[in-house]
Amino acid sequence: MGSSRSSLRGVPDGQQLLQETGFSAALLLRLHQRFQFLDKDSRGHLRSEDLEAELSENPIGDRIVGAFFQPGQETVDFPSFVRVLAHFRPTEKNWTRDGVQPEPANSRNRKLKFAFQLYDQDRDGKISRTELLQVLREMLGLQVTEEQLQSIAERAIQEADLDRDDAICFDEFRKSLEKVDIDHKMSVRFLE
Amino acid sequence: MFSRMAPRGRSGLGRSLAELGLLLLAILVLLDGTVLSLEAATSSEIDTHEGKPGTHKNTSKKSFPVLGIKYDDVSVPFEISLWVLLASLMKLGFHLIPRLSNVVPESCLLISVGLLVGGILKLARDEVPPVLSDRIFFLCLLPPIILDAGYFLPIRPFVENIGTILMFAVVGTLWNAFFVGGLIYAVCQIAQDKYSEIDLSNIGILPCLLFGSIISAVDPVAVLAVFEEIHINELLHILVFGESLLNDAVTVVLYHLFEEFMESGSVSAVDALLGLVSFLIVALGGVLVGAFYGILAAFTSRFTSHTRVIEPLFVFLYSYMAYLSAEVFHLSGIMSLIACGAVMRPYVEANISHKSHTTIKYFLKMWSSVSETLIFIFLGVATVEGEHHWNWVFLTSTVVLCLVARVIGVVGLTFIINKFRIVKLTTKDQFIIAYGGLRGAIAFSLGFILHSEHKRIFLTAIITVIFFTVFVQGMTIKPLVELLAVKKKHEAKRSINEEIHTRFLDHLLTGIEDICGHYGHHHWKNKLNRFNKKYVKKILIAGDRSKEPQLIAFYHKLEMKNAIQMVESGGGSKLNSTFPSTVSMQNIQPKIHSPPSARPSERALPQLTKGREEEIRQILRTNLQKTRQRLQSYNRHTLVVDPDEEGFDDLILKKRRMMELDWKVCKTSSHKSSNAIYSQAYVKPGAENVPTIKIDLASPQSPDSVRLLDEVVQDQGLTMSLPSSSSRAYKTSGKDDGRDQQKLLRCLSDPGPDVDDDEDYDDDEPVPT
Repeated sequence: MGSSRSSLRGVPDGQQLLQETGFSAALLLRLHQRFQFLDKDSRGHLRSEDLEAELSENPIGDRIVGAFFQPGQETVDFPSFVRVLAHFRPTEKNWTRDGVQPEPANSRNRKLKFAFQLYDQDRDGKISRTELLQVLREMLGLQVTEEQLQSIAERAIQEADLDRDDAICFDEFRKSLEKVDIDHKMSVRFLE
Repeated sequence: MFSRMAPRGRSGLGRSLAELGLLLLAILVLLDGTVLSLEAATSSEIDTHEGKPGTHKNTSKKSFPVLGIKYDDVSVPFEISLWVLLASLMKLGFHLIPRLSNVVPESCLLISVGLLVGGILKLARDEVPPVLSDRIFFLCLLPPIILDAGYFLPIRPFVENIGTILMFAVVGTLWNAFFVGGLIYAVCQIAQDKYSEIDLSNIGILPCLLFGSIISAVDPVAVLAVFEEIHINELLHILVFGESLLNDAVTVVLYHLFEEFMESGSVSAVDALLGLVSFLIVALGGVLVGAFYGILAAFTSRFTSHTRVIEPLFVFLYSYMAYLSAEVFHLSGIMSLIACGAVMRPYVEANISHKSHTTIKYFLKMWSSVSETLIFIFLGVATVEGEHHWNWVFLTSTVVLCLVARVIGVVGLTFIINKFRIVKLTTKDQFIIAYGGLRGAIAFSLGFILHSEHKRIFLTAIITVIFFTVFVQGMTIKPLVELLAVKKKHEAKRSINEEIHTRFLDHLLTGIEDICGHYGHHHWKNKLNRFNKKYVKKILIAGDRSKEPQLIAFYHKLEMKNAIQMVESGGGSKLNSTFPSTVSMQNIQPKIHSPPSARPSERALPQLTKGREEEIRQILRTNLQKTRQRLQSYNRHTLVVDPDEEGFDDLILKKRRMMELDWKVCKTSSHKSSNAIYSQAYVKPGAENVPTIKIDLASPQSPDSVRLLDEVVQDQGLTMSLPSSSSRAYKTSGKDDGRDQQKLLRCLSDPGPDVDDDEDYDDDEPVPT
């Protein structure tokens, strides 16, 4: 423990992050090295261009990059970077909910919430039809026509929308994914 | 026998049918016996007849034979047909007695029948034909089952768990083989049974190891037969089943290795190393051969648009060739077959017509079903046939050692594997995996072709283990699954939401992996998908379907199924379900968002008043035929009712009549019909007294329901001429018309079993998300 404590000296908020995210010290160090690698000009924070360079081919790259930044901010510092990545840590099976501890970042609920916020860009708590259409457009690109997109979006909303407000709120989103193993689907093994 | 089988308190019809079936069986068996003995008689007659031709001609003129028996010419096909008929009748019989088939798994019943038949034959003729020869088994009986398994292999869970499966298959089987082989040798040395005439200590270490390698392999046929009835969750099913498929390579290598060693008499370190190399060659070679034939099949299917009838033949032939080619080079035939089926499936399915798809599915299920039945019956017969060397020490220790080895192997391997898995395997899972390690006919056949002097005792032991696993473990696994409350299979369809969101999450995870700089699971999957989309699909899939994104294809299928459901179940009542699209509605009235109301049907048809809706329902009810309830679940024993029989003609005719009621198309110029994929239902408000509904099944290139009906009705032998005014609106370039009609025919000709369609949706890409 002592050696890791000393090696975490270069990492801002190292100890606190260890506790918050549940990452091991070695992993935190590696993430810090990665952060410094991405931070090409050694500013100590990342801008969106740094992240976008990695995600050039990803259809939803902008959204992912946007998720790292707090609303209004233009830079990401290391703690925020790590906090976002904490969502993708594999869940421990034995974690039971007790009222005292705050929900860890990689619980099923938090993972779903993170994904939901990627859809819901205007942060009004609902995925509206236009937002869904945008996502579909990004994912399917130029291969389909506008009408196909419309009908898919229409059908998706009809299936999921239980309270008939023509938008998908977080509970409906969670319900439509109840059969999917989110713990597996949204975990990156590297972050164990 | 009859009193035992007669069910208590069942309906009279069922009882009499079951008894009839048994009577038929007995008759068949006796017929078989008498015919075979008659064959001996007639052949001797013919001999004597030909012995003195000359004298006969001179002395008397033979009267013209009005009726004669000449069995020789047809003996082989006749007997084969008799056996297959027996097997099928048995299957029929068992499912007429539901109580029995609930308690006892089918495999046990079939083995019992085989024992019975073998016993009867032995009594009748004092010898039993050697039916389970290895050639029949490996060349005729095994391939259909493996092909069925490989073609419908759920790729996604298989690839996700491939590491675990390989560990169990390779390391587990090796451990089993050496453990059982070594300890059996020890037992043989130690145990000296004074009452038995067999001297166990004669059996050397190498024969014991050979025996161990034969007995250690989990058998896919037995696993399939038993697991199919217990419906456990997907993960466990794929783990045990995948292991049973992949351990074939290990078994083949070990078997040949130990046989070689036995011949040469000595083992060296170089030989062991060569064994390892040979394993890699056998496994990878088998997969490559299979993949090669799979790609050939996919490529061939690209050009079959004009000869749809022989499409299924290509699938079967290429697969069988893959199996045989692998066997020629002593590679693993099973792995070759699996690879062939899995590789060719996504491309072939994109190319062939829906009817061919149905044909392939049903033929494979039929053949594998019959094969499985025959295998178990033959197992029973072969048990009666051989002379057995009973040695209680050997037998009991074999059974015990197999169980112990399996348990230790599974527990030990899971401990290691769980360090690498995200979703860990629990103790319950481990128990099921260990308990599901059934041995079957492959072990028997391998034992059959042994050239060892101890063949008989080995065979007896193998049969004992097979009987033990199939009977004891097979019968008790179902109540154990219930007792342990193991998670069962979800019998649910994927919704469009799940599809969209899982795709989204895949992109998200790929992005996160890229940010972390880690080349993980998703990264490689992404790369493979991209490669597939860019190059492979263009070559192997015909026409424009190669560009269709998978999400669209999935959505398309969903819509088709919905439309079929709507038509078949009478339309009116189904209006309440998810209505396909409101894009057409947008063209009629500019309002996109209707006021929120209680039912989705009202949202989709906002202008419809209650009264009007009732009238529509009335019309639909009187015109459309209410079809029978569609079977929702699917297994090997139930097939969906064939839509081509009774009533389908009427359905089409009535549907056409209904569509003629309203032939005006609601369409504005902005409607890009050439690319409309969805099924639309239009409502024309106010033009006539009764707003009628036109259900229009559309397809990518040319949504032309008119043409569809033409095609279909002509199939049924009727002729009709439909007004071509509407078709004008839809006419596009005719190059893909043929395929579109096929596509439309697809949806009308075969609704398909629901559960299986899940597999269809999932696996359009080689490594789907």
